[in-house]
Amino acid sequence: MRPTTLTARFLSAACLSAGLTWAALPAHAGLDEVIELHILPGTADFADATRRLSDAASADCRPDAVQSPYNAAFDAWMEISHLRFGPLEKNGRINAIAFWPDAKGFIGRSLGGLIADQDPIVNHPQDFGDVSVAARGLFALEMLLYDPQYADYDADSYTCRLVQAISVDLARMADGIDADWRTTQAPEMRSAGQDGNTTYLSRDEVTQALYTALLAGLEFTADQRIGRPLGTFDRPRPARAEARRSDRSLRNVVLSLEALRDLSGALADVAIPVTEAAFDTALAEAGELNDPVFAGVGDPTGRLKVEIVQQRIQAVRRAVEGEIGAALGVTAGFNSADGD
Amino acid sequence: MTTRRGFLAAMMASAVVPSLSWADAGNPSFLAAAKEADGGYALFGLDGEGADLFRVGLPARGHAGVAHPHAPEAVAFARRPGTFALVIDCVSGKVIKELHSPKGRHFYGHGTFVADGDILCTAENDFDTVNGVIGLWSRSEGYRRVGEIPSHGLGPHEILTLTDDLLVIANGGIETHPDHGRDKLNIPTMQPSLTYVTPDGVLRDKVELPPELHKNSIRHIAARDDGLVGFAMQWQGEPSDAVPLLGLHRLGAGPARLAQADLGEQLAMQGYAGSVAFSGDDAHVGITSPVGGRLHIFSAEGDLGTVHRRADICGLARGPRGFMATDGQGGIWHADSETFSPLHRASRNWDNHVVAL
Repeated sequence: MRPTTLTARFLSAACLSAGLTWAALPAHAGLDEVIELHILPGTADFADATRRLSDAASADCRPDAVQSPYNAAFDAWMEISHLRFGPLEKNGRINAIAFWPDAKGFIGRSLGGLIADQDPIVNHPQDFGDVSVAARGLFALEMLLYDPQYADYDADSYTCRLVQAISVDLARMADGIDADWRTTQAPEMRSAGQDGNTTYLSRDEVTQALYTALLAGLEFTADQRIGRPLGTFDRPRPARAEARRSDRSLRNVVLSLEALRDLSGALADVAIPVTEAAFDTALAEAGELNDPVFAGVGDPTGRLKVEIVQQRIQAVRRAVEGEIGAALGVTAGFNSADGD
Repeated sequence: MTTRRGFLAAMMASAVVPSLSWADAGNPSFLAAAKEADGGYALFGLDGEGADLFRVGLPARGHAGVAHPHAPEAVAFARRPGTFALVIDCVSGKVIKELHSPKGRHFYGHGTFVADGDILCTAENDFDTVNGVIGLWSRSEGYRRVGEIPSHGLGPHEILTLTDDLLVIANGGIETHPDHGRDKLNIPTMQPSLTYVTPDGVLRDKVELPPELHKNSIRHIAARDDGLVGFAMQWQGEPSDAVPLLGLHRLGAGPARLAQADLGEQLAMQGYAGSVAFSGDDAHVGITSPVGGRLHIFSAEGDLGTVHRRADICGLARGPRGFMATDGQGGIWHADSETFSPLHRASRNWDNHVVAL
């Protein structure tokens, strides 16, 4: 985690112990710890970082000025991107924020359409939510800020206003996520099983939701973030790496592992030495991989190194299932894990 | 005037003990299979509010059930590639008959009754020739296997009785073989279809998807009394392809109408629809995605109206008002185009389907 997050964590921990009596806390899979130390600091970071991005883009929309706050916003997104339920799913936000993978090239087509039409929607950035999700969020912005086809735009161009509108829209969504977590989602999780709570019918459902997010996050990083560029031995697909235009592919793997380790520690109410060790191994392996966009998947040596990182993440998943899942008495979703 | 035929029918009727009706089983409104807290499996009869009326233990994971149109009997099917189906007396809770698929066949998990309840039809795989087959079993002969007809497709999954002389069949198109478990053996060439077939095996209509959607496995179906059929699909390509997962069709109407949500919501379904049903008032059709935790409710014309979110939701059936939905966390829900509210919760995992009686 970045230093700001660490500070936020210590502050939150202090507030928590000062403001609440421990006896009032439910004897329950670290729910308050997850909310106070993992989720709310993350949603606040993402709201702050996207506001700074939006401010920066308003002041100067050109790539040189926007790329740095863009990366800070993406870093903050990686703290919460695995929380695929509740506020992140509301109004289709998750796909509007992080439209990836994009095998069919929806992003290029949608952006190209807006630019070709000089669509006046950019003059009303608060209504930008009406635009196709492919032309919104971090990946649309990445295309405009980094792809040579777009990134030489001028300060008075349509693309400039598009960058500003996407940034405003992103900050609006991030602010909505943070507000929804504080006013609705966290209270609903805390009052699970009580009369009138129609989101969580029991405490177990909250544990299930957090545990599912943890497992799905590990799976997404192993199967998609690494699996997509790996392709097959005969057909490696380096161009499919996530956020390769901004050189973030490996960085996103590392940040997602750090966020998921943070969630694991908060969620488990017992010591989890096997899981901790598995995260350490996976992060060490990823840290040694000198291949920021997985360009090496095409040659046997480079490919092997990427495959090892993937295997280490799969080992984390098994550790989580054996240690955290067993302790909490939960498994992956019944129908979603094995449909027919 | 007493004809010979009428006389024989009267003789037969008088020879039968007074038959029980669904009222004797408490008039259940729904059937659903579940995994129980102790790890075992069972089939449940539920009332209109989702409360248990009866429970029958199953030897392994079930998939769906079918209710007899008059007698309080239900048939519970094993999950594919299972080979058993149980005929259950829903008054006593006892298994009346255990059906086993013939050599060279396995069940897919769904079935239906025709001939006013005398013939049970079961969706089956003839796995050595890779042909879809509908097995026919005579109830009046103690559920003796009396024949089979082609499904006119590969991998028949759900079958429904449209009228007493017409079946509609979702041929998933995916080749499997028990030697390879649930492995999919023909994804590059798969060709799903919706077929309309008479109980004597005559193909009346066949619907296929446009070539670019040939990997969209047509798996589950629902029908309205006026013949409109809704079908739910499971995409075998990338979930990010965001293809339509709901189709609407009528016998003889040409290509199906495919329906989808906006791109963001369509992606959220993750290429998977688990169940499909029409609403109680016939005005809406819904599909569920347990992977995406979504219930999408469309108008019967195929326009998306409402999105409800619930983790692991899969079972969906016509409700007295709107829909009845079940999820893998034990929840039973009322859903319509405005509301989504809990009716009941049990400590069990509801399996893929809930069936309206």
